[in-house]
Amino acid sequence: MQAVDSPTTRPAPPGGGTEQRAAVPRPSRRRRADARVPWLLALPTLVVLVALLAYPLYRMIVLSFQNMRLRELLTGLTPSWVGFDQYEKALTDSTFWGVVGRTAGFTVVSVILSVLAGLGVALLMRRVHPKVRLAMMIAMMFVWALPQLVAAQTFRWLTDSDFGVLNYLIDKLPGVDYANHSWFVNPWQGWSLVTVLVVWAGIPFLAISLSAGLTQVPKELLEAATVDGATSRQALRNITLPILKPLLTIVTTLSVIWNFGLFTQTWVLRDGHPEPYYQTLATYSYTQAFGQSKYSYGSAIAVITVLLMLGVMVFYIRQMFKIGEVD
Amino acid sequence: MAAARQDDQVLTVGRSRLGTIFANTGGVLFALVMIFPVYWVLNTALKPRDEVMSFRPYFVPAHPTLDNFSSAIKAENFVEGLINGLVITLLAVAAALVVGFLAALAIARFAFYGRKAIILVILCVQLVPLLALIIPLFLMLQKANLTNSLIGVSLVYLMLLLPYTVWTLRGFIAGIPKELDEAAMIDGCTRAQVFWKIILPLTGPGLVATAVYGFIQAWNEFIIVNTLNSPAKQNLMAWLLQNQTERGTAWGPLMAGAIITSLPVVIFFLLIQRNIATGLTAGAVKG
Repeated sequence: MQAVDSPTTRPAPPGGGTEQRAAVPRPSRRRRADARVPWLLALPTLVVLVALLAYPLYRMIVLSFQNMRLRELLTGLTPSWVGFDQYEKALTDSTFWGVVGRTAGFTVVSVILSVLAGLGVALLMRRVHPKVRLAMMIAMMFVWALPQLVAAQTFRWLTDSDFGVLNYLIDKLPGVDYANHSWFVNPWQGWSLVTVLVVWAGIPFLAISLSAGLTQVPKELLEAATVDGATSRQALRNITLPILKPLLTIVTTLSVIWNFGLFTQTWVLRDGHPEPYYQTLATYSYTQAFGQSKYSYGSAIAVITVLLMLGVMVFYIRQMFKIGEVD
Repeated sequence: MAAARQDDQVLTVGRSRLGTIFANTGGVLFALVMIFPVYWVLNTALKPRDEVMSFRPYFVPAHPTLDNFSSAIKAENFVEGLINGLVITLLAVAAALVVGFLAALAIARFAFYGRKAIILVILCVQLVPLLALIIPLFLMLQKANLTNSLIGVSLVYLMLLLPYTVWTLRGFIAGIPKELDEAAMIDGCTRAQVFWKIILPLTGPGLVATAVYGFIQAWNEFIIVNTLNSPAKQNLMAWLLQNQTERGTAWGPLMAGAIITSLPVVIFFLLIQRNIATGLTAGAVKG
């Protein structure tokens, strides 16, 4: 995290800071009182964050080095210290690596598809009739407004094996028998469905942000390129995309963070009991802790998850600093 | 309107008529595919049971009925969920606004040592997957006897909303020209008066937008409340999840329940959508 601020990379003032500090006149009483004001204002926020975020984070790390089970939970006994056992257990378990691979694979595929779809829709919105654009906007707004849980339940119903409308429609295709087809028996089909759900729900944010970004592309540039004989594909690659790049980076990073933490969609589609091949890091950690009362093992998995995401998070924050949003 | 038409002309330079027809068709198709699941929720909720449970789906209800809605409302724990949800959400949002506004003021209006560190913390915290913290939070709240209580969940939600609240309000406060503060102070206003008479009224719309967004976040949450509390102490979202697992195939009432549960947030969302669209990526789009 310090890498973002990178105070260490700045050249140190010659002779150290002490002399300079001595030169500054002592602040008056009034000034010193002023210096306390911002900290007093920030204090309640800091207290909440320490009590409900930093401390739980610390507890989670401690817990991951212990062995907390149902017995400790019920009796209130201090769980025994087991060192790196939980981590060793996870890192030598092929099930765990399967979960990691699945989560990473899903994240890569779903983010690529979402961003491409979002970009495509954003570009499409520039070409269509204003009325069509309005229809697209309205459709996307409703999808965006839908709570995650409701969106997932809707897909559960659309793909219901007996009365789902999706099977009915696919069954209409010549030579295809999809009556009573169950979408979740074959994990590839099930995951395709999860991906479609995530991409569908993700498009509004991506397309609307990117289309806002597209309005920043100077029309003169595109015109000039057209006059100079550039094809629309060349104009897209050499003008539009470079200008859009900072925004694309941000929305892609956010999508990675969100999709990596996939929980609601598989949870709802699998009725609260995701089969092993529908487990991702978030659901796996949760079910280990609350399904099997392995609170420490669940914590170790959560710690590993956060560590895996740290790189992406640092990247995001750097980007925010770079574009000058943070001053 | 004239400007818009001109824009269209510029953009269609060198583009074929066929391409435009193609694009418009694609746009309409896209809108239809996107909205279809939303339509299907509505369609299902309005159909009587035999039309829902039909191997040949009814694309329009033949005998529209509101039975599903009354059946959803009469389901166990609906009223509790509604009240609990409102209490938890309003408590969390109100607390987040008060606490967050002060911090936002500090970041936006004061230059002080440690300011950048606070900004960094706020940004990082927004990215921490909160689900990862649910195990220690559960154990902590259990020890403090705050599981199965509305206060416990509200506290967690306060933490959930706070970083975003600080960050957005910071933006709104920073948007008020500092010269206004200075002019008022030269005219003899104290810092407190500047706050009450200038900053607070001018941040009003921002406060409303932030509150509404916070409401949506807290209202939509169900995993934490489902983990910490028993069904009678949960919110409407968790109630909806409970309904799915308990009454697996009753899709009509379930979809009606989904509409009732999401109606407030959908309305709120549509009201403040402009803010949400730019909130997450503000700065990346300079305009």
